[in-house]
Amino acid sequence: MENLIKIDKSAIVTEGKKLLDAGGKFVTAVCNDLDAEMEVTYFFSSNRGTEMQGLRCTVAKDEEVPSLTGETLAAVLIENELQELFGLKVKGIAIDYGGNMLLAHDSPTTPMLKEKKAEPKGVEN
Amino acid sequence: MATRTVVPFGPQHPVLPEPIQLRLTYEDEKVVEVTPVIGYGHRGIEKACELNEYAKNIYLCERVCGICSYQHSATVVEAMERLWPLELTPRINYLRTIWSEMARTHSHLLWLGLLADAFGFESMFMQFWRIREKVLDLLEQTTGHRVIQSVNIVGGLRRDIDEQQKRMIVGVLAQVRKESQSLIKALIHDYTVKKRTVGVGIITKEQAVSLGCVGPTLRASGISEDVRLTKYHAYGELNFEPIVESAGDCYARAAVRARELIQAIDLQLEALSKLPEGEIAVKVKGNPPANEAVMRTEAPRGELFYYAKGNGTRKLERMKIRTPTYANLPAVLVLLPGCQLADVPVNVLSIDPCISCTER
Repeated sequence: MENLIKIDKSAIVTEGKKLLDAGGKFVTAVCNDLDAEMEVTYFFSSNRGTEMQGLRCTVAKDEEVPSLTGETLAAVLIENELQELFGLKVKGIAIDYGGNMLLAHDSPTTPMLKEKKAEPKGVEN
Repeated sequence: MATRTVVPFGPQHPVLPEPIQLRLTYEDEKVVEVTPVIGYGHRGIEKACELNEYAKNIYLCERVCGICSYQHSATVVEAMERLWPLELTPRINYLRTIWSEMARTHSHLLWLGLLADAFGFESMFMQFWRIREKVLDLLEQTTGHRVIQSVNIVGGLRRDIDEQQKRMIVGVLAQVRKESQSLIKALIHDYTVKKRTVGVGIITKEQAVSLGCVGPTLRASGISEDVRLTKYHAYGELNFEPIVESAGDCYARAAVRARELIQAIDLQLEALSKLPEGEIAVKVKGNPPANEAVMRTEAPRGELFYYAKGNGTRKLERMKIRTPTYANLPAVLVLLPGCQLADVPVNVLSIDPCISCTER
């Protein structure tokens, strides 16, 4: 995938703001479960929608990432979605649905996480 | 201070054929706050894409939406094709362009009919949908199905368009163009339509960008942005320039779609006249490689985004779908506050919401 920059999670807002200030538009964010950590990629389009830029960071599953909604409200739905479906902790979303944007109260939690592989059982003597 | 009342607009409402709730806060007849509530019909399609064999995802993803079904299949297929990546023949690209524009034609006709219906113009609503039937018939005759075409496969297409079908399409499209123009004229110049839409639900240029709007909703606010400018499929070889209006109101959004309807017909005719000879499928070897790819297309409602990640097996590691309505939904946060209760349905309709897409 072209135009992908790896950044630290602390730079998400500043790097995102740079792209927005340069005339970019937030497209979406994609989360990948890498077992021990989470990979989050934010996509921005520019130049009449013809170019795409990705900002990618990896975070530990118990770490928080800052919300982009302070810079662009376009991120509000996807950040809530990542929070609910992946358990990604997003700090300071402008409209926080509190885990019930897509999921109901009795839905399974974080359904998009990879299922944990069963540990091989020891052979009993 | 006027009394504030919270009214749930939906999830079951005559103007919303699909379930979404807009939690509206009113002061007298004026909306002052809105919170969109989704999740009534979420289907977990992204998760299912990880559990299916990759080829089956085409048939699953084209069921994300019953209106832009073709666009979903073309986009998911090309996202997966980019994992190898596969080199397609020009004929495949042209045929995909033709069917994409055919889908846009029927989608915009559907929306124009719904707009007429929202004003109580029942006869005009039926006329738009009568014309739309002809386009659906074309889809059926060329792909085998009116709604779920299932014509795309990884590496190409299942069907071709022969010379006889080409002549038939050209004839029908000429008729559709003529009838659409006459109806659009009646709708767009109507006093009541103007009274209800001009200056209503304004999204400024800055707001449209900041809210991440896409498609006709974005272009009606004066932004000349369209994924077709990336020249995917055969768009680079066609005479295409995005249609833009500047007012940013409901009327501008209707005008963009009306003009795009005619443009879509012209693009089909141009693509048909330039349709090159060649194979309609290329060989695909092995499973999707461990790679990742993004494919964006311009669906009738705006930019459709697919992200695919392969891992070398028959199943994908991840599939992400960002639909146009998902991107346009934050726009209701600025569209509705300040408007009258009576204008809520037309305002909501003006972004052409597709909840089926949003609840993928």
